[in-house]
Amino acid sequence: MTADPGETPAGTADAGTGDLTIDAKVAAADVPPAILAQSLGEYVRVWWLRVRSGNSGVLPVVLAIVVVAVVFEIITPEHAFLRPSNLVYIFGLSTVYMVLAMAETLVLLLAEVDLSVGAVALIGGVIAFKLVQQPGPNWPWWAAVLAALAICGGIGALQGTLIAVFRVPSFVATLGGFLLFSGVIVIILGGADSTVSLNTSVPNQNFIYDMVQGLIAPVVGWIILAVVVVAAGTAQWLRSARRRRRGLVTPPLSLTAIKLVLVAIFGAAVVIICSVNRGSSLRSVTGIPWVIPIVLVLLGVWTFVLQRTRFGRYIYAIGGNPEATRRAGVSLAAIRIWAFALCSATAALGGILLGSFFYGEYSSNTADPGQLVLYTVAAAVIGGVSLFGGRGKAIHGVLGGLLIGGIAYGVSLLNLGSLSTPLTYILPGGVLLIAVLIDVLSRRGAGAVTGV
Amino acid sequence: MTADPSETPVATADAGTEDLTLDETVAAADVPPELVAKSLGQYLRASLLQVRSGNSGVLPVILGLVVVAIAFQIANSKFLSAQNLVNLFEQSTVYMLLAMAEIFALLLGEIDLSVGLVMGLGSVVVAELVQPSGANWPWWAAITVTLLACAAVGFIQGTLVARLKMPSFIVTLGGLLILEGVAIIVLGGSLVGIGNSQYSNEAALYDIFWGSFSPVVGWIMLAVLVGGAGTGLWLRDARKRRRGLVAAPRGFTAMKIVLIAVAGSGVVAVCNVNRAHFGTIEGVPYIIPIVLIVLGACTFLLQRTRFGRYVYAIGGSATAAQRAGIRLTAVRTWCFILAGLISGIAGVLFASWQVSLTTNIIKASNSYVLLAVAAAVIGGTSLFGGRGKTIHGILGGLVIGGIYNGLYLLGVSSQVIDVVVAGVLLAAALIDVLSRRGAPGRA
Repeated sequence: MTADPGETPAGTADAGTGDLTIDAKVAAADVPPAILAQSLGEYVRVWWLRVRSGNSGVLPVVLAIVVVAVVFEIITPEHAFLRPSNLVYIFGLSTVYMVLAMAETLVLLLAEVDLSVGAVALIGGVIAFKLVQQPGPNWPWWAAVLAALAICGGIGALQGTLIAVFRVPSFVATLGGFLLFSGVIVIILGGADSTVSLNTSVPNQNFIYDMVQGLIAPVVGWIILAVVVVAAGTAQWLRSARRRRRGLVTPPLSLTAIKLVLVAIFGAAVVIICSVNRGSSLRSVTGIPWVIPIVLVLLGVWTFVLQRTRFGRYIYAIGGNPEATRRAGVSLAAIRIWAFALCSATAALGGILLGSFFYGEYSSNTADPGQLVLYTVAAAVIGGVSLFGGRGKAIHGVLGGLLIGGIAYGVSLLNLGSLSTPLTYILPGGVLLIAVLIDVLSRRGAGAVTGV
Repeated sequence: MTADPSETPVATADAGTEDLTLDETVAAADVPPELVAKSLGQYLRASLLQVRSGNSGVLPVILGLVVVAIAFQIANSKFLSAQNLVNLFEQSTVYMLLAMAEIFALLLGEIDLSVGLVMGLGSVVVAELVQPSGANWPWWAAITVTLLACAAVGFIQGTLVARLKMPSFIVTLGGLLILEGVAIIVLGGSLVGIGNSQYSNEAALYDIFWGSFSPVVGWIMLAVLVGGAGTGLWLRDARKRRRGLVAAPRGFTAMKIVLIAVAGSGVVAVCNVNRAHFGTIEGVPYIIPIVLIVLGACTFLLQRTRFGRYVYAIGGSATAAQRAGIRLTAVRTWCFILAGLISGIAGVLFASWQVSLTTNIIKASNSYVLLAVAAAVIGGTSLFGGRGKTIHGILGGLVIGGIYNGLYLLGVSSQVIDVVVAGVLLAAALIDVLSRRGAPGRA
């Protein structure tokens, strides 16, 4: 699938809006249903057609999340898996996988891979933590975060140059990068036994600590939710109105309404779950962790960049067919380098959030960069991003990361003793293989040529 | 480069034996020099031509080895001591074997990221099987079962890659995660050791890595090896000449035999120096012949059999190979089986080397795959398939082992060593990419 063209002239799309004949079906399977369908019924039919032809989107991973949630709820002792406290913890645990998987998606869309995201993320985290130390550099938190993103973006640009200009295969260049940066992490930490931690009594450092650990009061949460729903609704409304004025195809009104209602219900559920007291009767803990809006904003940014900008369209185009894109006048090297740079910068943010999740402390044992990258690629692919380029969205990374985090936490709840460590490796590995198998088979079913 | 056709009719090759004009330069660059050259002088000229056109073979890595050796010898005079050289070989053994395993995947244009953990799994399995309190199998049965198990892992991964057309790096990425879990389950959460010499099976396993031949046996083996290899080479060339086929010049054959004898004597002499601080440890370690046998078997398989030619053909162009009637699925699956099997051999040696295995050692075995790929690429094997030989794994493994050993002697921290090795890997990959670009007729 190539990029969703944000604006398709009505004439082209009209071909598919009639009764769907066999001929139109092939075309319909490649176009987002929101553009094709004029009514809700048609939308559902077109969507089902896409699912059947292999473009199943987020459906498999959402089903998988439901299955995992139900299964763990049944088999965990005292049916603890879906308790609000656990759900909030799972989101925190999954944050790094969600953010890294969004980063990896940028590169996977190009049909490349970045095996260094784990190590780069840890470098970003350590740099940001080091820069706010007092005594020490004592930079303001935002400058430290920006510096970490910029440095890691530079690292990504270097790797991207090796890949895009010199055509070193990405998995080798980033394998080398992984090895290199795994060593560098320990060096900038100041030795294998060193740690760098945030002092929560210093407001500047506490801000980074609060990125995952901080809470928004439930009332504020409700207000934010209301604002978001109203804003999203208004934006959708205005966009539809503008498109109609210009004679472009608009999604059916009922569809927009349903989407808005779904967002409102989902948001309300999140706020309600987070408003339950997760602490004890003596010391109540309620509220929405900062990390939830942070991840959602990041998701919004990457969705916007990939779906609504020229850069995003070029990424999908390169992933679909690099030669055709090159002949269309796109500089492959520039787009590829940017994609690797942005991937690494996003990974750096993931690393900062990871440190915050681990109560603001970084040591060389905080996370294994190799395992991080494996889980990341697994999360993206499980979420529905294709390894062969050109197919995937930021939301896939988020959902895949949530699934991986859910499995990891569910296994740890099971009290399996010596079996729980191995299962944290075996389950993601197995899920990864199944996800790739589905990816390969669905591409074959969709008629795409995978070559010999 | 495709497989060396070991027997080429004279008529075709004769074209190159005249004075090498500019026109024939391109053709000559793609044919092994021993086929076109009639005299030692011509051979050297043909080799130089190959090097200049990008087919530099083992030359860069040998130069690299020399540079590493000289640099570290200057920095620390202990580097080239007999004691440290044996030590260096011991440290490189696992890298060399894993690199040889990886080469079977690389030649196809695929990659196997699981070789490190196949080794890890193999080491745990073999150690558990000889435990007197557990399975208590004889050491040879334990090794056989371990190798079969590792080959089976290769078979499963190979089937997924070859039959279901899943990308090899993802299959082996998922594979290594699963293997990590399985290895930890087999280990049973605790430590397993083979260091108790009271039990003959544990002692036998221990000796595979740490045992040596007595000095006299070393010399006898060398004599047998040189005599055997010399006679074999000489007879083969004589037979070729009798049948009117192109054979390497007599002077070249003789030079090869002398080189083997000199190099072998050097190795035996170095190994026969007493390398213990107290008491006596001397003689050729068992691992040297083990590595040489694996090298010989793989080289024979890749250079002299139909299977080997198919591997190179698929790596060169899978479509062309398929149209020539080669069954891609079978050849690819076998390559992954062989990669698993050789990683299994590495696993047996790894268990013997480490003596006791813990969960952390199993987790660390993961990172060996990076060094295996690095060793193969540094040795001169291409990442794009179709170009490489098993000897590259040996030489690249020695370079990596040499860097680790030398930097360690200098007291450099392991993180800095990782950074240096990563730099070497990136440099090797870059050279590979650029040399392919420079070579004629390559994309």
